[in-house]
Amino acid sequence: MSALALEGVTYRYPATRTPALADVTLAVNRGEVVGVIGNTGAGASTLLLVAADLVPRVLGGELEGRVTRTGRSALLLPTPWTQVSGMAFTVTDEVAFGPANLGWPLERITGAVERALVRVDAAHLAARDPATLSGGELQRVILAGILAMQPDVLLLDEPTAELDPVGAAAVWRLVREVAAEGAAVLVASSDLDALPDGADRIVWLAGGRVRAIGPARTVLSEATLWTEEGPGSTAIAGVWRRAELAAPFPLTVDEALERAR
Amino acid sequence: MRALHPFTLCGAALALPALAWLLPAPWGGAGAAVVALGLCAIGGEGSGVKVWRAALLTAAPFWFFLFLLHGTAGMLATGPRLTTMIASFLWLIAVLPPARLIEAMVAAGWPASAAFLLSATLSAVPALRERGRRIVDAQRCRGLDTRGGPLRRLAALRALALPLVLSALHEVDERALALETRGFTPGVRRTPLAPPRDRVAERALRWGLLIGCVALLVWRIA
Repeated sequence: MSALALEGVTYRYPATRTPALADVTLAVNRGEVVGVIGNTGAGASTLLLVAADLVPRVLGGELEGRVTRTGRSALLLPTPWTQVSGMAFTVTDEVAFGPANLGWPLERITGAVERALVRVDAAHLAARDPATLSGGELQRVILAGILAMQPDVLLLDEPTAELDPVGAAAVWRLVREVAAEGAAVLVASSDLDALPDGADRIVWLAGGRVRAIGPARTVLSEATLWTEEGPGSTAIAGVWRRAELAAPFPLTVDEALERAR
Repeated sequence: MRALHPFTLCGAALALPALAWLLPAPWGGAGAAVVALGLCAIGGEGSGVKVWRAALLTAAPFWFFLFLLHGTAGMLATGPRLTTMIASFLWLIAVLPPARLIEAMVAAGWPASAAFLLSATLSAVPALRERGRRIVDAQRCRGLDTRGGPLRRLAALRALALPLVLSALHEVDERALALETRGFTPGVRRTPLAPPRDRVAERALRWGLLIGCVALLVWRIA
């Protein structure tokens, strides 16, 4: 059974007529990582807000269709500085904010916080004031706060936006681990190079509609991704295409090397 | 002193100014001021002298204007009372980290929204200061001159304030989403992470201060 399912979902933000999402049908299973790609304004972030039950409940608007989710969902937004709780004066308390709101016993919170900080490689920041962290550090701390809540449906909106390449690679590995532990993961990302290995399936959104959905490598190999309403594909596929080499384009450096040999 | 329960510290910081105004002048106010300044000196934990000096420096202009407006008698009657208020407030800030107060509020069963209101306000100050600094840097890069006479500075202030306010408003929606997704919903009963110990003696002291202040008020009115 899917942990998250959207059936014919159409959503309009308040005071707008054009739907931000139109007739979207999608299911994410436990243990699966589904990537969402698209140009700016394609509806990827809105899809995550709908999946997280934050619209129309918090922001208002009009929702048609059906959304079902099993268990708890948690969403990581792309701007870490707007996600700081404001109720914590140390990183430990910041990460504990979500679990404390769930009313867990203190022992469970302590264990979950320690594990989450280690997982995002931020244990050394535990005693720091969140206000003194860099963007990348804060992004990892907020991610730890989300992971500490042990969500069944993990929703990530540009999770590597503030991170350096090493930090970004670590997050993608972590996403895989969390899925392997049984969570359903839906991740909107413009880091297309990470998706061939980072996601099992990909949803391509354009103008709020699903243009393509399928296995990551199949979707990222579609020629139509290079049209005006497509986000393109991986950098190595772009190079291959510009060099007018034979299709299908390789999606990773390893694949390109294999093909070159 | 930091080991005391946050509510006891708040109670003392509120009771001292109340006593300063309720006890007959000038000795009542003077006594309260001495106690408040004494707390500043011993309560700052390493920075006691700094807190004590800050209290005196903040109070000094008030004494000066009281003397100009009301003469020596007026200054001696009201000056110590204002000094008590200032010293108590600064002492409280020095000895009570906001995180402890919030934990005490959560542990005492206060609505999480009340604790959030307080802590978010306190934590917003450094965040806004940092953002203000970035906006000033950005505006300078675009040619804004923040030095010079008062008029020029006033014009520069407008170029700083507008983006600062607009960006803060813009963040409200995202902040609401982030809090919701982390379980901070209306009526939530948070687990206190480090509930401060509330001894019987401290509770008795707080009740004693409250009853004392009310009794004094009744006595002064009667």
